[in-house]
Amino acid sequence: MSADTKLRLAGVGKRFALKDKAEAVAVQDFSLDIRQGEFLVIVGPSGCGKTTCLRMAAGLEFPGTGIVRVGGKTVTGPGPDRSVVFQQFALFPWKTVAQNIDFGLRSIGIPAAERARRIAHYIELMNLQGYESAFPHQLSGGMQQRVAIARSYVLDPAVLLMDEPFGALDAQTRTVMQEELIKLSRVNPRTVLFITHAVEEAVYLADRVVVMTRRPGRIKEIVDVGSVRRAENWDRHDRVEEVMDQASFVHLRTRIWRLLREQQAEHEH
Amino acid sequence: MSAAAPGRMLRSVAVPLLLIAIWYAWTTAHPTVRTPTPPKVVNAAIEMIASGDLPYGVLQSLGRVFGGFAVAALIGVPLGLAMGTVRAVERNVDPLVESFRPIAAIAILPLAILWLGTGTSAAVMIVAYAAFFPIVVNTVAGVKRVDATLLRAAATMGIDRLTVMRTVIVPGALPSIGVGLRIALGVAWTAIIAAELAVGAKAGGGGSGGVGQMMFVFYAYSIELNRIVVCMIAVGVVAFLLDRVLRVVLRRLMPWTH
Repeated sequence: MSADTKLRLAGVGKRFALKDKAEAVAVQDFSLDIRQGEFLVIVGPSGCGKTTCLRMAAGLEFPGTGIVRVGGKTVTGPGPDRSVVFQQFALFPWKTVAQNIDFGLRSIGIPAAERARRIAHYIELMNLQGYESAFPHQLSGGMQQRVAIARSYVLDPAVLLMDEPFGALDAQTRTVMQEELIKLSRVNPRTVLFITHAVEEAVYLADRVVVMTRRPGRIKEIVDVGSVRRAENWDRHDRVEEVMDQASFVHLRTRIWRLLREQQAEHEH
Repeated sequence: MSAAAPGRMLRSVAVPLLLIAIWYAWTTAHPTVRTPTPPKVVNAAIEMIASGDLPYGVLQSLGRVFGGFAVAALIGVPLGLAMGTVRAVERNVDPLVESFRPIAAIAILPLAILWLGTGTSAAVMIVAYAAFFPIVVNTVAGVKRVDATLLRAAATMGIDRLTVMRTVIVPGALPSIGVGLRIALGVAWTAIIAAELAVGAKAGGGGSGGVGQMMFVFYAYSIELNRIVVCMIAVGVVAFLLDRVLRVVLRRLMPWTH
């Protein structure tokens, strides 16, 4: 394991029991190293086991074969060093915005003054000023997901796990959130494992995109986006659509689309 | 108060007023000696309130209802939480709960009297028995309905099990627990009639036996139908007010639901 590998999945396989003693293979022979500070996105057709991979990294599920390691330690269960942003936000409805962000911080035993400082920092960073004592149901979907992202970032985890975090948002809100996440990851570079089925989103956010095959989920190809991003200086654009207009972006997007379409064809024949 | 308020109040009492009018018209058209009529019932109510028997009886009954309700909640809520979170507890306790649930509170009257003697503690036991089931059943249902994603989210933030119980499961189940408590308070008040049979009927005992025993005395000893109707109305009005109070308390406890 190289020194800068933060999250490692090695030879991971996972089966699920179906009715009548049948089994479905969700993930097979899946090996992936996520480097320190890397934004890694897994794309794949629905049911390809990409969420299963994330859950195994989170410690919410365990591999049948192979190992999952974070920072050199085998994952034995969930923990605040691998906080998760869920598609359905998963905010506590009875806690205010500030209390939601504070919840995990309390459990890892951060002193009150430091907690207050960190909460204020992320409230500002995620444009949530004035909503500290609002309950989640009083906020729009986009704002709720900002609270959830703040709640995960504030824990300063070794790896941030994002399970289709923008999947439940409308198209405009989704675009704004993608831009904000890019800005946030520039201010606070973190090791991120991000799951999506949206190809544009993957290319826009990722340093590397892992394309998965249909069930059983394996790695079809790993596409390096980071080198193109840096070479073409995508980061000089503030808006998603400007980046998406770049020939280099279109090229990568089309390449990933083809990889996904090939499997579709294989699947149908 | 807005200008529309008197109109709204009138609309919300329209059906009760109509029922009283029908009652009045019917009993005037078909008069018999024993038929309770609105004027006779009003007179009986005035007498019973003036003598202090009715207020005292209601207060006596309320004390027993609150006692039994508190016992039921103190056992039912923790047991429901345990059943909802620990499989083994549910497997063991659920068959017991479900087989005792159809047994009416009045059926345990002989046992209550044998164990606790005639008096308030037997009445409290009967009320507690009746109120226990809706609380435990709704608490279990509430725990099971807690969003599994919230439990996963808490786990990924490293929250320990006891804190999860206190800060995720209890508030998540609270709306359902609240429904259970509201049903239970209604049931407890219903059971007071059965429960106060255990206090021992004494003719001329005034309000000391509670409103339930007063009804029994008016039925079995002095045969005063008008007074029974007054007691029925009193039970209904008190039940309505209790539910309103409990609803306000529960709303206060759950500021995130409105």
